Amino acid sequence: MQLDWLLQPLLSQLNTGVLILDSQHNVVFLNQFITRRADLQLAEVEGKLVYTVFSGLPEAWLRRKLDGVLALQAPAFSSWEQRQYIIKLPHLRPVSSDSEYMAQNCSMLPLTAPDGVSQYVCLLIEDATDAYVYQHQLQQSMSMLELANRTDGLTGVYNRSYWQSQLEYETQRAARYQHPVSLLLFDLDKFKQLNDRYGHQGGDAVLIELSAMITELLRDTDLLGRYGGEEFGIILPETNLACAQLVANRICAAVAAQKILFNGQSIAVTISIGVASYTNQTADELIQQADMALYNAKRLGRNQVAVWTAD
Amino acid sequence: MTDFSFSEEQRDGLQELVNIAMGLASDKLARYLNTLVHLQVPAIKLVKTDYLPTHFANRYPQQSMTMISLGFFGDHGLRGETIMLYQLANVDTIAKLLGYNNDDSSEAEMLTDISSILTTTFLNGLAEQLENNFSYAAPRILSSRDQHFAEKLASTAKQWQLALQVDIRYQLIDYSFNCDMILLIPGEAVLRLRVILDKILANF
Repeated sequence: MQLDWLLQPLLSQLNTGVLILDSQHNVVFLNQFITRRADLQLAEVEGKLVYTVFSGLPEAWLRRKLDGVLALQAPAFSSWEQRQYIIKLPHLRPVSSDSEYMAQNCSMLPLTAPDGVSQYVCLLIEDATDAYVYQHQLQQSMSMLELANRTDGLTGVYNRSYWQSQLEYETQRAARYQHPVSLLLFDLDKFKQLNDRYGHQGGDAVLIELSAMITELLRDTDLLGRYGGEEFGIILPETNLACAQLVANRICAAVAAQKILFNGQSIAVTISIGVASYTNQTADELIQQADMALYNAKRLGRNQVAVWTAD
Repeated sequence: MTDFSFSEEQRDGLQELVNIAMGLASDKLARYLNTLVHLQVPAIKLVKTDYLPTHFANRYPQQSMTMISLGFFGDHGLRGETIMLYQLANVDTIAKLLGYNNDDSSEAEMLTDISSILTTTFLNGLAEQLENNFSYAAPRILSSRDQHFAEKLASTAKQWQLALQVDIRYQLIDYSFNCDMILLIPGEAVLRLRVILDKILANF
């Protein structure tokens, strides 16, 4: 069977871009996969340097690749994972993809004409946009999972396990670089009575409002986490004891001054805060010290700040 | 169980062909790089694939390795996979060697590029010696800066019955680097390879 007739229909319907360049990188041929997407005619671009036909090609990179294929008579490859696209072509997934251009896998193959002298490079371009989109979605899901994994479901601040791992990290960093770091532990005063009076939903609303309010008062580098129940912790990197005490007083006063609205009722809340600073103790010891200071603040009448002292 | 072993004659024949192919690759690379490339005669060893992971784990203890795989398919059922193994410390040298400095190429892209250049020039030469023609799959990164590379090597090597272990050392005037190349061939293709080798040996 004579098969020559197959060539044209195959090339025109192939779901792969075929681009043939001569040894000077001039366009010799391109198939419909490319001409339709790039809105070109072969007759317009034939004999023209490929870098002038397609704008925005990575010229230095592509030159090296093509010259390598010609010199070594060995194929070269490019994957969308390393270089998302070579030629700017549209893709058919305008809604689901955030990428403007088709992600591409490209093979560059050496070709020699029947005369045995003229050498060409054939670029085969495959659409890898689906793989790109799936990987992108996977990464997004992963980062959402990561976020969920370190967030407290009710208040949106860090959860205990993540917060504690950050405290470990910050104390190690403080030790290594001889920088200060301080810790505040605070607790809602008379939370049980509040729950009895407004119900658990009222209690929850207070915890949510309180977390949001205190987040506003902190620097970006400070780390607020829910330690358990109505107890929270704040890690203050690069902060010595005196400054930590100032921050604690400001937070304590701000909470006492603010009323929280729940079901048309305004609820007055106060907090007690314990303060401790890092002086080469372990993260657990630091928490214990802040906790003892917090206990003292409660004992001294609540709605106040107490600093941990050695005696 | 099918015997995939080689006679001494077949083994010598194959090693000779690999040497010639390496020589051809070296020559091509030298012209491409426009400088003197000296490719030392590689040490070649035919091994069982289950020997590989332990061997390379012991050879590069506690090191982060990058492994890049490239599959090839030839006529008459000849096929296989090459794996290039790079030490991290060599990456900068390789980049300079092939003129990748001040470039926007990522490390991954650079290494896949170099792997496909090294392996396809070599395999093209080998195909020529075997009177065959190979086509190639795009290179794949099996492990990237990974200390647990041996586990990944094990899961890849499991599919194959024969491994040809080749130590490659490239030396240029100013640079030198070494990397390992492993040629993995499945059982069916091993049988084919033996037939081809016998034919070539008969003509000598």
